[in-house]
Amino acid sequence: MEVAKILENKPKGYIYGLMGNINLTTNNNNYSIITDYKFNGTVEEYLNSPKAASSLKMVLLDENVMPKNARDLSIGELKKVSLAKALIDGKDYLVLDYFDKSFNHKEIDYFIRLIKRMTSDYHKTVILFTNDITILWNNIEELLIVDEYFVINTIPKEKYFEFIDKLNEPEIVRFTKLMKELGLYIENYKDTQDLLKAIYRLKEQE
Amino acid sequence: MNELFNVNNKVIYDINTTILYTSSFNYTDDAIYYLNNNCIVITKDRGMDTFKISNDIFELFHEEKLIHKKDLTKIDELKLKILASLNTNKTVFVFFDVLTYLDKDFKERLIRYLILNKKRIINYTTDIEETLLLDYLVVLHENKIIMEGKKELVLQEEKILKKLGFNLPFIVELSNGLKYYGVIDKVYFNNEELVNVLWK
Repeated sequence: MEVAKILENKPKGYIYGLMGNINLTTNNNNYSIITDYKFNGTVEEYLNSPKAASSLKMVLLDENVMPKNARDLSIGELKKVSLAKALIDGKDYLVLDYFDKSFNHKEIDYFIRLIKRMTSDYHKTVILFTNDITILWNNIEELLIVDEYFVINTIPKEKYFEFIDKLNEPEIVRFTKLMKELGLYIENYKDTQDLLKAIYRLKEQE
Repeated sequence: MNELFNVNNKVIYDINTTILYTSSFNYTDDAIYYLNNNCIVITKDRGMDTFKISNDIFELFHEEKLIHKKDLTKIDELKLKILASLNTNKTVFVFFDVLTYLDKDFKERLIRYLILNKKRIINYTTDIEETLLLDYLVVLHENKIIMEGKKELVLQEEKILKKLGFNLPFIVELSNGLKYYGVIDKVYFNNEELVNVLWK
């Protein structure tokens, strides 16, 4: 699916979430799709820029990866190099294709902060494409659900819980659903600590 | 417990194992070894080349829609690759950073199916929630084993996991907190068990 079509008429300078079983492609020169792309040649040749070292630093890599070929990099490192390339290219739209996979929580948090800065300081527009809504729900302006050809739903922040894909329910949602099924009244929470306090209050009332 | 593999100082026991790794880890060397040892290694790029999947398997995994689908996505192809692998007589299934791309329903059906058919599973992942799927857990950082053991023991090591950049799985974090406040008296590793205890 042409990714530029997904953002037609959407305001620039925000982070959008994207979910759906599609392949992302683009012919639009203003878009960078960031993925585990196996480029030809070395990292240095692929980045081919005086900004290479500083861009690698921004994506948590150091200059030691410069002489390496794509086949010598892990999936996480390939994604980081792809992001470094996008930062060098400086296009207006960054599309992160299942970028959260292959990273730990600390790295994911760092990259979320980085793309927030890209939108706020440099007015970039970012699409986070993933199957994990927990990555999205505190960080995006709107959630876009797509099928093969169209955006079939646009979900505002306050309605995420109503539209969570049943096949990809976060554990916290699964847990609260189980509690509700057993007759324990509990609200929906995004944060484990908030749920913990709610359960504590509930047990205290008992 | 017998050793199944011992490669590059990584000991993989004859037990279903999750290998939680940090993002600099590259699987290639291990994958070559595994291929010679009655294993099938499934990555995003490699696995089965031809798709011979019975209708029963499609039905079991609720993926009948894939039978006639024309424009397959990368996720569809990954599912087909995995479903086709179930047709082989290999006994060890190694998944390298692939289950995380699949929906939870498919993932859980797959693990149940393989366990039921007495296959050995090794799942490389960076997704902490996947550590709950299998019995044994190895934590790798910069190609070194930092911890290993039964998942219930390794997942108690919150400080080490945090240092490596991982949070605890949701259910472990929640039950740790509830235990701290005296609501429950032990840590649970599955949603149903914890909800049942709270409901009593």
